[in-house]
Amino acid sequence: MALYDTRRRRNNIAIGLSVGATLFGLLWLVLILGVLLWKGLSGLSFAVFTQMTPPPGSAGGLLNPIAGSLVLTFIAVLIGTPLGILAGTYMAEYGRYDKLSSVVRFVNDILLSAPSIVIGLFVYEVMVARMGHFSGWAGAVSLAVIVVPVVVRTTEDMLTLVPDTLREAAASIGLPRAYMITRVAYRAASAGMVTGVLLAVARISGETAPLLFTALNNQFWSTNLNEPVSTLPVVIFQFALSPYKDWQNLAWTGALIITLAVLALSVLARVLTSQRKSS
Amino acid sequence: MNEQHTMKAFDGDLQDLARMVAEMGGLAEKQIADAVDALAKRDGALAQRITQADANIDTLQREIEEKAVLTIARRQPMAVDLRDIVGALRLANDLERIGDLAKNIAKRVIALNGEFPPPKLIRGVEHMADLVLGQLKAVLDSYARHDVGKAMAVWRGDEEIDAMCTSVFRELLTYMMEDPRNITFCIHLLFCAKNIERMGDHATNIAESVHYMIEGRPIADQRPKGDTTSFATAGAGHRG
Amino acid sequence: MNVASVSVVSSVRATAPDTHGLTEKISIRNLDFFYGDTRALKSINVSLYQGKVTAFIGPSGCGKSTLLRILNRMYDLYPNQRATGEVRFDGQDILSPSQDLNLLRARIGMVFQKPTPFPMTIFENIAFGIRLYERLPKSELEGRVQHALQRAALWDEVKDKLNTNGLSLSGGQQQRLCIARTVAVRPEVILFDEPCSALDPISTAKIEELIDELKNDYTIAIVTHNMQQAARVSDYTVFMYLGEMVEYGDTTRMFTTPNDRRTQDYITGRFG
Repeated sequence: MALYDTRRRRNNIAIGLSVGATLFGLLWLVLILGVLLWKGLSGLSFAVFTQMTPPPGSAGGLLNPIAGSLVLTFIAVLIGTPLGILAGTYMAEYGRYDKLSSVVRFVNDILLSAPSIVIGLFVYEVMVARMGHFSGWAGAVSLAVIVVPVVVRTTEDMLTLVPDTLREAAASIGLPRAYMITRVAYRAASAGMVTGVLLAVARISGETAPLLFTALNNQFWSTNLNEPVSTLPVVIFQFALSPYKDWQNLAWTGALIITLAVLALSVLARVLTSQRKSS
Repeated sequence: MNEQHTMKAFDGDLQDLARMVAEMGGLAEKQIADAVDALAKRDGALAQRITQADANIDTLQREIEEKAVLTIARRQPMAVDLRDIVGALRLANDLERIGDLAKNIAKRVIALNGEFPPPKLIRGVEHMADLVLGQLKAVLDSYARHDVGKAMAVWRGDEEIDAMCTSVFRELLTYMMEDPRNITFCIHLLFCAKNIERMGDHATNIAESVHYMIEGRPIADQRPKGDTTSFATAGAGHRG
Repeated sequence: MNVASVSVVSSVRATAPDTHGLTEKISIRNLDFFYGDTRALKSINVSLYQGKVTAFIGPSGCGKSTLLRILNRMYDLYPNQRATGEVRFDGQDILSPSQDLNLLRARIGMVFQKPTPFPMTIFENIAFGIRLYERLPKSELEGRVQHALQRAALWDEVKDKLNTNGLSLSGGQQQRLCIARTVAVRPEVILFDEPCSALDPISTAKIEELIDELKNDYTIAIVTHNMQQAARVSDYTVFMYLGEMVEYGDTTRMFTTPNDRRTQDYITGRFG
C-alpha cells in the first residue's frame, strides 16, 4: 500500500506541474490576445478596409497594405505550392529510397528554420540589387522561399502516412504509377496536404523581415508589382515605431487583423482534417 | 508417432483413446477365455457372470465413441491423427461385437443346462478359441505398437481359423448323424463354433483398420476365405 | 544442385497431382527470389491450372506470400528485390524486363490480407478500375459495377448506398468490395494473399463460398495460414518450408495421407 501511495503522490505532483505549465502558456496567449483586442478593436471600422494609409495626423485606413499582403501572399503560394508538392511527391513516391531524397530532406529541414531575414537578404542580392529597385515580385519570391519548405515537409509527411497497402491495391488493378499517385495517394492525403498549404499561408502572413528588403513599402495605392508594395507587417512595423498616436492605433488594428486572419486559417485547417477523419 | 503435438492436450486425448481401446481389448480377451472355460468346465455360474460383464464392454464402447467425437470437434485432426481416431472407433465397434459373441457362447452354456457334450467334441472348439485368442492378442498388440507387419500376419491367419471351423462342422455333422440324441448339444456347439469363427473375422477387421490407420489406404488384396461351412453337406463318412 | 535437393525435387514430382486434360495457366520453373543477398525462394517448380484453386501453406517465413507476389510482379515496387528463373503466363515469360507491368496486373488480380478500399465512394471504387482500360457509356458502366458487386455477394447489402464512402463498410464487406474491385477489371487469374485473416468466421465463410463460385471462371491461387481453410477451399495444395517446395499434390490426398514427414508434422500441429 505504501508503494501505491507514493506513486499516487508522484502522479499528482506531475499532473500539477503539467497543468501549471499549460496554464502558464495559456496565460500569455490570453494576455496577448487580450491586449490586441483591447488596443486594436476600437480602431476596427469600415474605414480601415476602405481607406489608404494616411500621412501622420490625418485619418485613414489600411487598404493598400491589406491589398498588398493579399496579392503577395497569393503569388507566393502560387509559386511555392506546386514546387513544394512536386518535391514532396518525389521524395515520398519516386525517390523514396534515393540518396537524393535524403539530401533534399536534410536541406529542406534547414531551410524550414532558416531565419527569414537571411532569406530576405538573399532575395535582395539576387533580385533587388540586380533589378536596381525594390519590387512586389521580389517580395512575393521571398515569401515563396518560405512557403516551399513547409509544403515540401507536409506533403512528404502526409504522403508517407498513406499506407503502402493502398498503393499495392492500386497497382494490383493495373494502375500506372502516376495515376496511382494523383488519383489515389493525393486523394488519401488531401486533407493533410491542404492543411500544409494553409499553415504555410498562416506563416507568411506575418513575416516582416524579408519584406523589408524586398517589397519595402509604399504610401500609395499601386498595382504595379515592379514597384515597392505596401504590406501589412511592414506597415505595422513602421507605424508602431512612429511617435504619432493615430499611426500607432492603426498599427494595433493591423496586428489584430493579421491575428484574426491566422486564427481563421488555423480553424479552417482543423475543420478540414476532422471532416476527413469522420467520413 | 514420436513427435509431440504443440498442444499437449491433443496428445493426451489420443493416448486416452488408445488406452480405452486397449482396456476394451483386454476385457474382450477375458470374456472369450472365460466363455470357453465355462463350456469346458460346464460352469453355469461363470456363464452368468460373463453375461453380466458384457455390459462393461458396451459402456466402454460408448465412452470411446464419445471421446472420439469430442476429439474431432475440438482438435480438427488431420492425416495420421484423423486416421488414428477413425481406427479407434472401428476397433471399438469390432471389440464390442466380439464381446457380444462371447456373451452368446455363455448363454448357450446356460441353455445346455446340465446336458453336456463329451469333452472330445469340445476340444475342437477349444482349439479354435485358442487360435482366435492368439489372433486377438496379436492384432491388439499391432494396434498398440503401430506394427503393420504384425497386423498383416493376423489378416492372413484367419484362413486357418476358417478351415478349423469347417472341420469342426463336419465332425459335428457326423456325430449328429450317428445318434439323434446328440443333435441338441451338437447344434449348440455348432453355434459356438460359428461365433468363434465370427470373432476371428472381427479380429481380421481390426487388422484391416490397423493397416488403414498406418498406411492410409485399405488392404489391396482380397481377404482369404477358408470358411466353406456355407457349402458343407452331409457327405458320408467325412472326418476332419 | 546437390544430391539432397535432387531427391527432394524428384519426390515432390512423384506426388504431384494428375493434371491430365487441364489448361496450364501459369507455369513456374526454377524460380529463385532474392531480398538483397538473401535467397528467399529456392528452385520453385509448380503450375497453376485454369478452373482450379491452388493453396500455398507453410509456417511463417516459408516464402508463400513472396511467391504469390512474384506472379503479378508486385515486388517491382520495391528496390533490392529480384527474381530469377522463369514464370510463364499463357506461355509468355512475365519476369522479362520488357513485360508491361500494368497490363500484367490487370490480367492477374490480387486480393490482400487487409481490406484496402480506395478513399472513394463504393461505386467509384469499382468504376475506377474499369475506366482505366475501357470507355463505357454510363449505363453500361453501372451494369458492370452491379455485376461485379453481385459476383462478390455484396450487391444486396450496398445497392442503396453506392454513393457512400467505401470505408464506411464493415471489415468483411470491405474485403468483398476489394474482391468486386478486382473482378471488375476482368482478370484471368486471381491471387488471394491470406484474404480472411483479418475477418470474423462468418465473413470468412462467405468469402470461401465466393472463391468456390469464382473458381469456375478464373485460375485462383490462395495463400493461407489456416490449414482447414486450405483443405476446404483448394483443389491442389503446395506445402512450403524455408523457401522450398516440400510437397505438392491433390488437397484431399495431402490432408489425409501426406507423403513427406514435414508436411504431416505441419498439418497435424506437431511443428516447432
